[in-house]
Amino acid sequence: MSLSEHDIVLFLSSVAVMLFFSRAIGEFLKKFKQPIVLGEILAGIILGPTIFGVLFPGIMNNFLSYTGAVNIAFQGITLLAVVMLLLVSGLEVDLSLVTRQGKVASLISLMGVLFPFAVGFGVAWFFPNELGISAKENHLIFALFVGTALSITALPVVARTLMDLNIFKTEIGFLIIASAMLNDLVGWIIFSVILAMMKGNSSGLEFSSTMLMLGVFIVVTLFFVRRVFNYILPKFEKITTYPGGILNLILVLGFAGAAFSEWIGVHAIFGAFIVGIAIGDSAHLKEETREIIQQFVTNIFAPLFFVSIGLRVNFIQNFDLGIVLIFIALAFVGKVVGCGLGAYWGGMNKEDSLAIGFGMNSRGAMEIVLGTLAFQAGLIQEKVFVALVIMALVTSLSSAPAMGYFLKRSKKKLNFKDLLRKDLILFSDADTKEVLIKELCDFAASKNKLNKEKVYEEVWKREQQFSTGLANHLAIPHARLKIQSPLVVTAISRGGLDFDSLDGKIAHVITLLLTPETEPELQLKLLADITKNFHLPDTAKELCVSANSDEVISKIKQLS
Amino acid sequence: MAFKKIGLAVTFSPNSRALLFEAKRFSELFNTELVLIHIGDFTDELKNEMIKMIKETGLKEDSYKLLWRDGDVEDSILEFCSTEKIDLLIAGALIKENFLKYYIGSVARTLMREAPCSVLLLTQPSIERAPFKKVCVSVDFTSLSELAAKKAYEISSLLNSKELFFIREFQLPALATTVYDSGSKEEAQSMRHVWLDEEKSKMELFVRELNLPGAEIKTICLYGKQGWEASNWVNENKGDLFVIPSPARKPKLLDRIFQHDWEFVFRQLPCSLLIVKPDDDSL
Repeated sequence: MSLSEHDIVLFLSSVAVMLFFSRAIGEFLKKFKQPIVLGEILAGIILGPTIFGVLFPGIMNNFLSYTGAVNIAFQGITLLAVVMLLLVSGLEVDLSLVTRQGKVASLISLMGVLFPFAVGFGVAWFFPNELGISAKENHLIFALFVGTALSITALPVVARTLMDLNIFKTEIGFLIIASAMLNDLVGWIIFSVILAMMKGNSSGLEFSSTMLMLGVFIVVTLFFVRRVFNYILPKFEKITTYPGGILNLILVLGFAGAAFSEWIGVHAIFGAFIVGIAIGDSAHLKEETREIIQQFVTNIFAPLFFVSIGLRVNFIQNFDLGIVLIFIALAFVGKVVGCGLGAYWGGMNKEDSLAIGFGMNSRGAMEIVLGTLAFQAGLIQEKVFVALVIMALVTSLSSAPAMGYFLKRSKKKLNFKDLLRKDLILFSDADTKEVLIKELCDFAASKNKLNKEKVYEEVWKREQQFSTGLANHLAIPHARLKIQSPLVVTAISRGGLDFDSLDGKIAHVITLLLTPETEPELQLKLLADITKNFHLPDTAKELCVSANSDEVISKIKQLS
Repeated sequence: MAFKKIGLAVTFSPNSRALLFEAKRFSELFNTELVLIHIGDFTDELKNEMIKMIKETGLKEDSYKLLWRDGDVEDSILEFCSTEKIDLLIAGALIKENFLKYYIGSVARTLMREAPCSVLLLTQPSIERAPFKKVCVSVDFTSLSELAAKKAYEISSLLNSKELFFIREFQLPALATTVYDSGSKEEAQSMRHVWLDEEKSKMELFVRELNLPGAEIKTICLYGKQGWEASNWVNENKGDLFVIPSPARKPKLLDRIFQHDWEFVFRQLPCSLLIVKPDDDSL
């Protein structure tokens, strides 16, 4: 079978329409801070049988409804898209980060897989009809699939959420990323086993042989291919043009891995994912290369895949509120409780544990990929597929606000503005820096039940080493103490005090910073943060005309 | 003083003479006791050979202590470090071990990972003094890296090193995936710049807070895999001594398989390496 001229026109114009609409709707939604993938799926729903097919059935039948050779061409291109999507996902999985983050990350990710898996498997096993099982004979596989579907976390959405909340580069951010990476790996391994179980021996291999070869493939790729790639990469880059050479090599290895895993009876995406991990681990792989390949795949191929989802299914006809609500409820319970417990057992406080639970709850594109593959394999029916897509979107959209809410309640304040409190602002008439520092220390100690002599001793000891007077009328006396969380007390000196500042100016804003002695980096981070807030020459002077503490806080919070 | 008691793991290998000269120089420089440790068969002939080698360095009999034992090399050295309260162990090390030795662990690599005290690994020990002209310190803002920075400063002052570099490296794993949702490579790049600036200002404050008089410290911030980036920088910039805080926990085989942080350095030493452990009165 080959493509006729008419088929080629149809195929290419369809690709153009899909790319145009996905980008247009994605860009529109981005203005409302919504993920682009939502636009891509919406584009498919609009162009597919859900809306366009109802409004213009004639055009739909001739244009975006594929049969014969065009259909095969589309199957090929969406397969390429999903294989590349998993390849680039694998590139970002850094297993060393998991080993580095240690026990807490392992607890979070294992609980983030095991608990939702158990919840999903249990509910699907005992109430298969309520979850929309398609055929009784697939009962076990269906229950395994539901468990897996609930245990997936989407690393790209997690990373994006952390970036939006400005906690990417924090202890909690690293923990979530590391946990999501391990979670991804375990989730995809389980899903591959399920797909292999479904395929039975259609690949020509017994299930046990498939599993054996899968194990060998994982070990060889992660232990040997990874090292070989790392060894040859710098040499390869020297003899090829950049970025063409390296992109080619990544795709060659990715497709080869995908072909091999398909051959042994596991879906092609798994091979691409594992090869991606092996490649991404290389210290020689440039960040720019990662970004180029991410752009290449996610702006060209991924939209075609996500639009094609909406083209396949009528989302209105197959919308079953009961199934949708059950999946959403199971998703929240499974991840938030599972990961939250993992974090709590790992020693995090309740608020941080919940923030981690919600952070790990976003399913995003990975869930949709998983649902699509299960749908294509006949493992789930349309209603379940629609429910999974909606669940993926709801969990992704709710992740950032829920995380933000719990992080605000967390005791671990990480920036100057969050540490400000009305009752920790004072207006001082002290005439020397020693008197003022004593006043600040006494004030801080009384408000936080600390030993005031000890606080003063440490702060003054540090002050005597060399002055903490900075530029722009700011001084930050500071010390590390045996305290649990950082503390900031700010004094406003309208008359100003000589603090031997770097620029020779008198200090009007004097902020006492006390941090836990076990966290030296936090002290530097807060010192840098306070300094950044007062980078303009007159900010401190302007605070002096404030009538009260509320006004001081309000003005500081407006600083950029 | 940076160290109080120096130990040297000495053998009859070609580098031993040079290592003895180095150990003597360091013990004089730091004004410390010197303990020489040899693990292997004991015979009068070997002992005489050892004494002869020691005498060639100019070490006087009362200026060192020689410990000799037959047994497991790594375990015995580690035990002597503890019982003798050695706070700096000096040993020779190859820049790179072969594949198998790296995973199984050579003597030098085991000492790097498991010594209870600070370890100085000399890749090119020399009979003539070859001072560390360029000393580089990896900074991760922990209390231990403060100690490492202070020790590096002391050493560079004593050795009149020309340059002292503080290197900070950081990486945001999975940052590249955010270009998917934003569709913007520029955003990821600009975030990296913001974070880099933040690290730079933290580095300035770190140096300021250490209050090291008279030192002209240059700070370097690198984006990339921790351990690998700094090691690479030291190698490319021809550093003579790389000072790092010891790993927070004892590295295991898994850390060697999925290398991170100092395992990149241990795999291939960029130059001589000083691994700083917390000492009793430091933290």
